[in-house]
Amino acid sequence: MMQLKKYFCLSLLGLALACTPKIESEEFSLGEVDPTSYVAIGGANTAGYSDDALHFRGQQNSFVSIIATQLNQVQNIPFSSPLLSEFSSGINLNGDSRLILGYKTDCNNETSLSPVRFSASGDGNALTNVFSDGPFNNIGVPFMKAIDVNTAGYSNPFYARIASNPASSSILQDVQALNPTFFTIQLGEHDLMEYALSGGTASTPTPVNGASGVGFDGSLNEVVQTITSSGAKGAISNIPDILNYPYFTTVPYNGLTLDAANAQSLNNVFNPLGISFQEGENAFTVEDPNEPFGVRKLVEGELILLSIPLDSVKCNGMGSIVPIPHEYVLTLDEVNIINNARTGYNSAILNTAQQYNLAFVDASTFYNSLNTGIVYNGVSLDAEFVTGGFFSLDGRNLNPIGHALLANEFIKATNDKYNSRIPLANATSYPGVIFP
Amino acid sequence: MRILLICLLFPFIASAQGFQVNLQGQVQQGMASAGTALMQDASSLFFNPGGASFVNRNEISIGTTFTIAKGAFLEHNTFETAKTTSPVSTPFTAYGLFQIKDSSRLKLGLAVYTPFGSTVQWEDGWTGRFALTRLRLLSIFVQPTVSYRITDKIGIGAGFVYSYGSVNLQRDLPVTQGTTENSDGYGRVELDGTGQGFGYNVGIYVEPIPQLSIGLTYRSQVNMKLNSGTATFSVPTSLEENFPDGDFVSELPLPQVATLGFGVHPNSKLDLALDINYVGWKAYDTLAFDYANNTESLVDTKSARLYENIFAFRLGGQYALSKSLRIRAGVGYGISPVQDGYVTPETPDANRFNYTLGLGYNFGDHFTTDISMLYTTATREDTNLETNLSGTFKVHVFAPGISINYKF
Repeated sequence: MMQLKKYFCLSLLGLALACTPKIESEEFSLGEVDPTSYVAIGGANTAGYSDDALHFRGQQNSFVSIIATQLNQVQNIPFSSPLLSEFSSGINLNGDSRLILGYKTDCNNETSLSPVRFSASGDGNALTNVFSDGPFNNIGVPFMKAIDVNTAGYSNPFYARIASNPASSSILQDVQALNPTFFTIQLGEHDLMEYALSGGTASTPTPVNGASGVGFDGSLNEVVQTITSSGAKGAISNIPDILNYPYFTTVPYNGLTLDAANAQSLNNVFNPLGISFQEGENAFTVEDPNEPFGVRKLVEGELILLSIPLDSVKCNGMGSIVPIPHEYVLTLDEVNIINNARTGYNSAILNTAQQYNLAFVDASTFYNSLNTGIVYNGVSLDAEFVTGGFFSLDGRNLNPIGHALLANEFIKATNDKYNSRIPLANATSYPGVIFP
Repeated sequence: MRILLICLLFPFIASAQGFQVNLQGQVQQGMASAGTALMQDASSLFFNPGGASFVNRNEISIGTTFTIAKGAFLEHNTFETAKTTSPVSTPFTAYGLFQIKDSSRLKLGLAVYTPFGSTVQWEDGWTGRFALTRLRLLSIFVQPTVSYRITDKIGIGAGFVYSYGSVNLQRDLPVTQGTTENSDGYGRVELDGTGQGFGYNVGIYVEPIPQLSIGLTYRSQVNMKLNSGTATFSVPTSLEENFPDGDFVSELPLPQVATLGFGVHPNSKLDLALDINYVGWKAYDTLAFDYANNTESLVDTKSARLYENIFAFRLGGQYALSKSLRIRAGVGYGISPVQDGYVTPETPDANRFNYTLGLGYNFGDHFTTDISMLYTTATREDTNLETNLSGTFKVHVFAPGISINYKF
């Protein structure tokens, strides 16, 4: 047949009609994957929570929706997410709308491009229960910890929204009811993140070891054991280094730039406390109850959170004459607590993946590659806030293009494990940060 | 008319390697563009200025080739295919060759031709759009030439080359604009400029015995300097300061070519020609754009091209069926100057064979027409080191051409 086509093309040469070249593509296949009932379990990324809210565009472009789109190229499957209205302003736990890029005027009356809320308040109606619109394959629940997966009547507005019975059901029960044949699992990020987002003021991360509902490994094991009990196959990812997210890296610890006069006047105040400043770059000051005078300078490796009120820093001396409140800072000790917990979670995830013979997605290594930057089909991406093009405007969760790249990591791991040939997503067809 | 139809049914060849276009004479195109050691008509001004002195009469020749290139790209990760929608390009030639008086050993000529150029247009929204969406490259060489027949067996010639070129490059920028969510409104940049350069073309033609001719030519490198190109950005309003429209400077080397050619004439009806080209593509080391207004977002770029010097071989023949009708055929093989890791959507180049056919017919004493046709195809798999664009490029080229010659 190919030969015939070739000769047909050649015979048309004289008419100056050229056939567009055809390049043989590989056949797609599912291997051992049965995507008839694909169920996605996870937190913010799975739900498509981004730009600091649950909203339509984020949900539609969640990495699990993109995986489903790619599976659809091989076999038609149903995949449904509990989408908000396209016109909804989005909603987060504080009742805010999603972030968009807009203009903001600071305390110095300087206007610049900055994340701003889409509208004054979020879409309050968005949190009403929509279970009857289901079934939903996407069981992503923002702010869910691994230890919450099998909590009956789990109290989280984003779960209550999709729960079969908000008062008594658990996420795992609802997953089971879908009889999954294929699944993706992302668990553990919020077990760290809650502590990190509080600047180390909330309770410490979920213990690595412990029974389901108490420790990370027991909780994870229960989820995987339950979901694989009737032979479902799936992919599970480890946890990236959350402290490399723009939320923790955008404001440098030594971002206090002083001229000689300012340095001198600060020295007049702080030298008696044993703290000195110099012209040029200085570490910010931070509250520390363990210090004799309750204040010290930050040291390298300590992190300032993106939640810090920048106007206070710019105009009211926060970080210099007024030490930064602890809730906006992760100290070295707190950084260590997070790193140790993550290491423990990740080895539990790897063990579980091996024990249950799952496709293992090394999201940690993938996110690390963003720290130095990658180039995807001519598009440069890195972990910088806004300009990096990978993270959404909340500095923690991903853009659609980031989701597409994460989806590809899951698909690659699945193809490797289950001898499938599912095509990767074309990440350039997913939008990045939208500029006004 | 009958003849014309028959000819058009024969595939023939013009070869392109890199962004070089080897379509400078219909007679030679019929023979895979071999012709350094054949001195048949005014197009010798290009193929061998030394041989031009052996052409017996005054001659004016104009011709064009309708180059139809269809390309496709299969991305290796998504298995999505993109196609080119390039327009037909029409490189042309115009040659005038004159003798001061009858049987003069000295010939004067003027050649105008387009040795480099093409338009590549990729379909909207293709995955490599941040590397390239459209490239139009055009160069016109004007070459006044002197050719002198030293003896009945040796001729030499030299031409001065003035070249004028234009380039228009467009690609998308990965910044999403618009107020509508899910917008696919990517930014874009258009780089547009004209440039000029100078060079020369020299050759020697030797006919030691009637059955053998030898030609040796050298066409110098021409550096096309774009001194005042214009960069036009279409980006979201909030980023306009980061991407200011303005001038840019760039340079494109058009490589030197040395050619050794042989012509064999076993009898009065048959001519065979072999050309061996050595092309100095190594000069195309870097594609750099130096913007007049740099910003944090708009920095000068330097993209490695690292082309390699290459050989190309062209073998062709011509047979006279009658006094007024000649048929031709040829095959060429070109080695790609583009190394693995450096294949770009601008010139998805590969080692390739070219196949050509041609025909010449005399309409009485003064008019001749030559037609030719080229077919070539190339396939190249690569992962570009700069953009990480990974996949298979494939291109088909069909190029029918015609020239009309007036001798007096």
